[in-house]
Amino acid sequence: MQVKPATVSLFDALLLLLLGGIAVFIGYRVAVQLNYQWNWGAIPQFLFRYDAQSGRWVTNYLTQGLLTTLRLSLWASILALFFGFAVALARISKSLYLRLLAGTYVELMRNLPPLVIIFLFYYFLADQLLPFTGSGRINAETHPLLAAVSALFFAPPAQLTPFLSALVTLAVFEAAYVAEIIRAGIESIHKGQWEACHALGLSRWQSLRHVIIPQAMRRVLPPLTGQLVSLIKDSSIVSVIAIQDLTYQGTQLMASTYLTFEVWLTVAALYLVLTFPCSYLVERLNRRVNRLV
Amino acid sequence: MITVRDVTKVFPGGVVALDGFSLDVCRGEVLVIIGPSGSGKSTFLRCLNGLDAIDSGTIIIDGVALDKNEANRLAIRREVGMVFQSFNLFPHLNVEENINLAQQLVQKKKLAEATASTHALLTRVGLLNKANRYPDELSGGQQQRVAIARALALHPKVMLFDEATSALDPEMIGEVLDVMRDLAAEGMTMLVVTHEMGFAREVSDRVVFMDHGRVVEEAASKDFFTKPLHDRTRDFLSQIL
Ligand SMILES: Nc1ncnc2c1ncn2[C@@H]1O[C@H](COP(=O)(O)OP(=O)(O)OP(=O)(O)O)[C@@H](O)[C@H]1O
Ligand SMILES: [Mg+2]
Repeated sequence: MQVKPATVSLFDALLLLLLGGIAVFIGYRVAVQLNYQWNWGAIPQFLFRYDAQSGRWVTNYLTQGLLTTLRLSLWASILALFFGFAVALARISKSLYLRLLAGTYVELMRNLPPLVIIFLFYYFLADQLLPFTGSGRINAETHPLLAAVSALFFAPPAQLTPFLSALVTLAVFEAAYVAEIIRAGIESIHKGQWEACHALGLSRWQSLRHVIIPQAMRRVLPPLTGQLVSLIKDSSIVSVIAIQDLTYQGTQLMASTYLTFEVWLTVAALYLVLTFPCSYLVERLNRRVNRLV
Repeated sequence: MITVRDVTKVFPGGVVALDGFSLDVCRGEVLVIIGPSGSGKSTFLRCLNGLDAIDSGTIIIDGVALDKNEANRLAIRREVGMVFQSFNLFPHLNVEENINLAQQLVQKKKLAEATASTHALLTRVGLLNKANRYPDELSGGQQQRVAIARALALHPKVMLFDEATSALDPEMIGEVLDVMRDLAAEGMTMLVVTHEMGFAREVSDRVVFMDHGRVVEEAASKDFFTKPLHDRTRDFLSQIL
């Protein structure tokens, strides 16, 4: 690809001027019409605060929210990847039953609003399934080690059950998209590759495992990473079920401080901290894959 | 060695690709199949190793019938090697790994054992120095020679060549035909779909001319080109010679 020379044309200049004008206008409206009092000084304490009792700096609401979002996204991605992979294999399976089952699942997930899925799943999972896992019985007194592990990798024991429900819900939702990406990747492999495997006497599973999937994975890596960015963004919907993620903390802070713009601009910046590195990775991967394939 | 009786293959959409096709091939015979485009040459080869399922008729290869029986089909796939027009090497594996793969997975050979026979095969096709290259680093002729080595690795009893040289630049056709010629000299049973009439005349024992999914004429290759019996064969030969 050719690198474009970095010159500014008259059109670019006009566009910049227009965008600058819009920004000034919005700032003006906020300041004058809404009579908005900016108070950025109040924000840092919601990121970190000084704990007088222990004499240390500790994380506060927004940073805790960020960490919750990070944990949630991380585990949900891993789960969605495995589950999505299995669903993709079911989608291309020889068994009509498996194909129909996986197809129905994917279509359902893709045609329902995520919020509806969250509510349905959350109340079902949290009420019906998770009590059996015993996740609600962990507490700092009886299982100090388990509780510490839980707080570090998942959520504090008290929030563990809702956290797990949210995690599973998010994974089940995203897995449908992951499955479609992987399936498309597998189907994009030229049928000559299948035929060569067949002629060499490889079984269907051997062909998939050693020839088709390794090639497909190279192609789907960029869109898969892109889906990860979506997952981080989509994870904000769990705030409606009182998971204390970044968005939830934002709503709580806004309600208590009325610092609407400061809080949400900070929340936006924190999301970007998570998503930008992933997007950058997508960009890099795309370039590499284009070179390979 | 190979017995084909009244084989019919109809594609969805109603195209009759093979229409009561019958043929016998002896062990060690080199058979060239020619015919106009769409006459069913590729379909015939693909049916022989089970890539396409036949609708009726029988195919028996080395005493094993190619029928619905999964074990039989697998046995035949492993005993019939196929070389494609478009090579179909595995692009994510290097030359050595391409040839090792089926030996390890199908024959359950250890890596060292597989690599040893891979190197012997590569020496045979003159590409030992390319063992660690990837397919996209090779010329078309080299890729096709690797594909032949890969098919030979399973010690097939029959080799099928579907226009193995048609995708190649003219200057590379010779090197692939040389490998095929050596193979014929070693006594391999070969079914070759090709437009290379020189190869057909020199190397093959018998030539089959097919059209519309049937055998129109078959003859020993020394007779086929000099005394074609049918008008259609004559027309076809006059077009390509
Ligand atoms: N997968 C398929 N689906 C439907 N029709 C097919 C399919 N493959 C082949 N055919 C049809 O079957 C007939 C025979 O095709 P085949 O490829 O065997 O011909 P061929 O003799 O190999 O021709 P060519 O010299 O062009 O390779 C053709 O009419 C073709 O259109
Ligand atoms: Mg053909």
